[in-house]
Amino acid sequence: MATNMRGLTQFIADIRGARVRELEEKRINKEMANIRKRFKDGNLDGYQKKKYVAKVIFTYILGYKVDVGHMEAVNLISSPKYSEKQIGYLAVTLLMHENSDFLRLVVNSIRKDLNDNNEISNCLALHAIANVGGQEMAEALAEDVHRLLISPTSPTFVRKKAALTLLRIYRKHPDVITAAEWALRIVSLMDDMDLGVVICVTSLVMAIAQDHLDAFAVCYTKAVDRLNKLVVEHEYSATYAYYKVPTPWLQVKLLRLLQYYPPSDDPTIQGVMYKVLETIMNNCAEPSRNVQHNNAQHAVLFEAISLAIHLDTNSPLVNTAAILLARFISSKETNVRYLGLDTMAQLAARTENLTAIKKHQGTIILSLRDKDISVRRRALDLLYSMCDTDNSELIVGELLRYLKVADYGLREEVVLKIAILTEKYASTYKWYVDTILELLSAAGDHVGEEVWYRVVQIVTNTEDLQAYAAKIVFEYLRSPSSHESLVKVGGYILGEYGHLIANEPGYSPMDQFQVLHSKSQFCAAPTRALLLSTYIKWVNVFPEIKPQLLNVFERYRHVLDVDLQQRACEFYALASRPEDDELLQNVCEEIPPFPARESALLGRLKTKGGDKSDTPLERASTTRKPIKKPTFPQPNGNGNATATNGNANDIASSLMGLEITSSSNGQSPSSQPDPSQTLAALAEKGLPMLTVGPNVDRWFDKLLHSAEGVLYEDVQIQIGVKSRYHGHLGQLAIYMGNKISAPLTSFTATLHVDNQDALSATFAKIAPSMIAPRTQSQQLVHVECKTAFTTPPILSVSFLAGSHQTIAVRLPIVLTKFVEHVKLGQADFFERWRLIGGPPREAQQIFPITLDESGHVDRNKQRQVVSGFNLNILDGLDPNPDNIVCAGILHMSTDGKVGCLMRLEPNREAKLCRITVRSTSEDVAAEVMKLILKPLKADPAS
Amino acid sequence: MIHAVLIFNTSGVARLTKFYSTLHRSSQTLVHQIFSLVSTRAPGLCNFLDAPELESFLTAQEADGEKLRVVYRNYATLYFVFVVDSAESELGILDLIQVFVESLDRTFENVCELDLVFHFDEVHHILSEVIQGGLVLETNVEEIDHQVQRAAKARKESFASANPLSLGSGVAGGGSRASGLSSLGWLTEKLAGVGTK
Repeated sequence: MATNMRGLTQFIADIRGARVRELEEKRINKEMANIRKRFKDGNLDGYQKKKYVAKVIFTYILGYKVDVGHMEAVNLISSPKYSEKQIGYLAVTLLMHENSDFLRLVVNSIRKDLNDNNEISNCLALHAIANVGGQEMAEALAEDVHRLLISPTSPTFVRKKAALTLLRIYRKHPDVITAAEWALRIVSLMDDMDLGVVICVTSLVMAIAQDHLDAFAVCYTKAVDRLNKLVVEHEYSATYAYYKVPTPWLQVKLLRLLQYYPPSDDPTIQGVMYKVLETIMNNCAEPSRNVQHNNAQHAVLFEAISLAIHLDTNSPLVNTAAILLARFISSKETNVRYLGLDTMAQLAARTENLTAIKKHQGTIILSLRDKDISVRRRALDLLYSMCDTDNSELIVGELLRYLKVADYGLREEVVLKIAILTEKYASTYKWYVDTILELLSAAGDHVGEEVWYRVVQIVTNTEDLQAYAAKIVFEYLRSPSSHESLVKVGGYILGEYGHLIANEPGYSPMDQFQVLHSKSQFCAAPTRALLLSTYIKWVNVFPEIKPQLLNVFERYRHVLDVDLQQRACEFYALASRPEDDELLQNVCEEIPPFPARESALLGRLKTKGGDKSDTPLERASTTRKPIKKPTFPQPNGNGNATATNGNANDIASSLMGLEITSSSNGQSPSSQPDPSQTLAALAEKGLPMLTVGPNVDRWFDKLLHSAEGVLYEDVQIQIGVKSRYHGHLGQLAIYMGNKISAPLTSFTATLHVDNQDALSATFAKIAPSMIAPRTQSQQLVHVECKTAFTTPPILSVSFLAGSHQTIAVRLPIVLTKFVEHVKLGQADFFERWRLIGGPPREAQQIFPITLDESGHVDRNKQRQVVSGFNLNILDGLDPNPDNIVCAGILHMSTDGKVGCLMRLEPNREAKLCRITVRSTSEDVAAEVMKLILKPLKADPAS
Repeated sequence: MIHAVLIFNTSGVARLTKFYSTLHRSSQTLVHQIFSLVSTRAPGLCNFLDAPELESFLTAQEADGEKLRVVYRNYATLYFVFVVDSAESELGILDLIQVFVESLDRTFENVCELDLVFHFDEVHHILSEVIQGGLVLETNVEEIDHQVQRAAKARKESFASANPLSLGSGVAGGGSRASGLSSLGWLTEKLAGVGTK
C-alpha cells in the first residue's frame, strides 16, 4: 500500500500542496529527474524500485507523460515478494499497451506466475493478460489460461479471471482458441455452483458463440435453465442478491445471450422461457421505493422486453411489454423515460403493428421537449422508427417545428430524418415539396446537397407540380433572408418553369428577376454560376427583361472567378445574337425528365424517375444501427454506396432495422456445404461425434425391435430406454443412471434430429444439471413422426466427472416404431399385394441366413423379429407354411397413413431367404425392408 | 464492453483513469471532454449520455457502427464515469458503479476523495476485482472485499518479511486519514469541501 512508502506519501502531499500548475510541474520534473538518475545508477533493492515505480505510476495517473520505469516494472514482476510484484503488474497494465515492446520481456514471468502454486499470483498474471495481452501473448499463453479455467483444482476466483482472460485472448487472436472443440467444455462451466464464475463464463460464451452459433447451441438451454432457477425457483446464493434482485448482471447477460440465437422451436424451452419472462414482467408491476432495487429490476426488465420482442412481436408478452413501456415513457424518473423510449424504438423497428405505439404518439412528441438531451435523442429515434404513411405528415410536421429549437448537435440528424421520412412516406408531391422547402429554409446549413437535387428531379419529372413549385419557391425567396440551397432550388425551378407563372400578378418576369438577383450578392460562386444559367434561360422566354439580363452578363464578364467569367462571356455572346437566331432556343430547350428508374424505396412517391444518391440513406442506416446492439457483423454501409437500385431493398430493410437477427441463418448446418465429418467440422455445426464401442451397435439394434433395454453403459453411466408408441406419436423414457460415488455435474442432454420436418423429438423438460451419486434421472422425450425418415435422432449427453465426458448415441427411433398392426384376410391381403405391384413400390432382396442347431430355419426368431417391428403376422395366409406374411399401417402426422405388406420366404437348402416389402410409398418400402433385414441376416463372420 | 472507467472530482481533476481499449488520442483531452459533458448536466437528468464526440478516442477502426454511451453517477464531490458500448445494459452499469463504490467503502471505511489520492494503487486493485479487461468480473461486494483482503494480506506478509522492523501498518481504514474530511456520503449526498488537488 502506498502509505507504506513514506517517500511516496511525501511526494503526493507535495503535489497536493502545489498551488499552481507550474509548481506542480516543477515538483514532478524534479522527482522524475531524481528517479531517472536512481534507475541509471542501478543497485536498487526491491523496495526502492517499488517506491520509484509507484511514483512513476502516480505521475502517470495525474496525466503526465512518463518515459521511465518500464524496465523496472518488468523486473518487479518477477520479484518473489507479492507487494513488489503487485506494483510491477500495476505499472505494466497502466503504462504499457498491447503493442509495447516491453511486453515481450514479461511473457515468461507471466507464464511462471500462471503456473505458480500461489493462486493470487495466478490472478495477477491473468489480470495482466486480460488488460494488455496482444496477439503474441495470446499465442504463448492461451493454453495455460485454458488449463486454469477448466482445472478442477482452480479456486473459483482464479476460474473467473481465467474465463475473462480467455475472452481477451479470443478477441485478440481467435485462431489460438479451438472454439468449436472447447465449446461443450466451456458451456459446461455455465453450470458452476459459483455465480461469479457463471457471470464470467457467460461473458466468454457470449463472445465466442457470436462467431460459432451452432457449436455453442447447447448454451441456449443452459441459459434458459439458469434463468429459470434464478427468476422462478429463486435458487441462488444469498450474497448474490443485489438489493433483493438475484444477480441482475447475470440475468441481463443471459437474456442477451438468448437474443443471439433465433427463437427456439422446442416447446419445452419456449414454455420455460415464457414463464421466466412473465415472472420478470410481473415483478416490476409494483415499483419499490429503493432506487438501487428499482434500477436493478428495470435493468433486467428492459432486457427481458428486448428478448420478448426478439422471440415474437405478436406474443401476449409483447402486449404486456407495450403497456409497461407506455408507463415508462411518462415516468418521473429520467433514466426510465430514457430506456422506455429506447426500448420502444426497438419494438417499433421490429413489429409490423404499430398501433400500440401510436397510442402514445402525443407523449413521445412531448418527449422531444424533455429537459434532458439524452431523452430527446431517444424520442427522435423513436419517432423515426414509428413513422409510416398514416402519421408521416404529423410526425414530420412535429420534427420541422422541433428543428427550429433543437440542440445544435442534434440538428443534422433531425434534418436527415425529416428528409428520409418525407421521401419514404410522401402521400402527395405537394406535401413533399412544401416540406423540403421548409426544411431548406429552416435549417439550410444542415441539409445535404442531395436533398435539393432530389426536389429538382421530382419537380422536373412531375408536370402538375411545376407551376406550384415555382410559386412556392418564389414566395420563399421573397422573404428577407433565404438560405443558399433555397436560392439554388429557386434559380433552377424559376429558370425552367418561371414562365408558367409569369402571367399572374406579382410573378412577372421583372419580379422574378429582382427577387432572385437580390440574393445573388450573398451567394458563393457556384450558386452565382447557377443563377447565370437561369438568366440565359430567361433571355429565351422573357424578352422583356433582356436588357437587364444582358447588363448582368456584361458585368460578370470582368469578375475574377474563371467559371463565372467564362459563363458570362458565353451567355453574353449567345444573348447578343440576332432575334431570329435559333441557337438560343435550342440551347435553352426545356430539360427532359430524368431517366426513370424503379426503386423500392421511392415506390411510394410514384415518381417517374430520378435516381437519388444513396448517401443520405446510407447514413441513415448507420444511424439506425445503434437502436439495437450490433450482434452480428452487419452489411457494411459503404457497400451500398456504389450500388444503385439493385439493392434498394437492402437499404430499405436496413432502414427498417431488420438487420438485427436475421443473419443467424447463415450458419445453419444445412447451408454449410461441408461434407467433412471430422470432429472439428461436426463440432462447428454443433453435432456430436458418435460414441463407438463394442456393444453400442448391438444395444441399438436390439432396441429397434424391442420396447425397452439398455442403450449405453460404461463404468460411470448407464442409459436405459423404455418406449411407448401410439399412432404417429411416441414417448421415450430415458433413464440416466450415475454409477459412481461422486455426482455427475454440469450434466447436459441434447437431442439432434437430422430432419426436423420429418421427425420431431423433444425433451419434456430441461434435464437436471446434476445427477447425484448412484441415482437415476428419468427424462421423457416426446416423439412425433411427420413424414418418412431414415436417420434416427442422436442423444448426446455430457457431464463432468473428474474430466469432461461426452457420449453420443443414436436413439432407437426408426420408422417401424410408428407402424401399427392391421388384420387382413387372405383375399384382402393378396388383393392389396397385387394392387401395389412391383418396383418402385416394392423392395426385395435375397440374403443368407443361419440355420439353428437342428439345421432348420429359425422360425421363432424370425417371427419374433418381425413382430418386434410391429408388423402383424398373418398365419395361414400363405400356401407355404414356412413363409411369413404380415401387414402393418404406418402413421405419420403430415403424410397420413401408409399401408405396408411384407413376405418372408426362407429356403433351408440354400440357406437363403427372400424378403419382399410392398408399400404405397416407395420410401417406406425401402426403409422398412432395410430395417427388418438387418437382424435376420446371417452374420458374415459366423 | 466497458471501454473506460474514470473518476474525477467536481473540478475536473482525474482521480482514476483506466482504459480497457487502446486510446487513439490523448487521455487528458478525453477526460476533459467527458468532464465538460457531464459536469454541465443538472442533477435531475438521466445518468446516460450519448457521446458521438468520444468515438474517435476509443473505437477501433473496424467498429464503425458502434455507439458509445457514457454512464455516470455523482457522489458528493466525485463523478464516477463509465464509457460503455451497446453490449452493456445501461442500468446494469449504473448498478455496477454502485457496487464499485460500495467496495471502495468497504476497504476505506467512509471513503473520501483523499483516499483515492493517497491510495491510488489500492483503488486500482479494487477496480481490478470488479472489472477485468473491460468486462464484469464480480458483482458480489462480499466476494470483492474478500479478494481485496486476500491480496492485502499477501502484501503485508511479503512486506513484513522484507522489513522485520516494520509494524505492518493496517490496510483498511488507515489511521493516517486526515480527520474532518467528509466522506462521499452517497446516502446523504452531502457536499464536501475537499480541495481540488
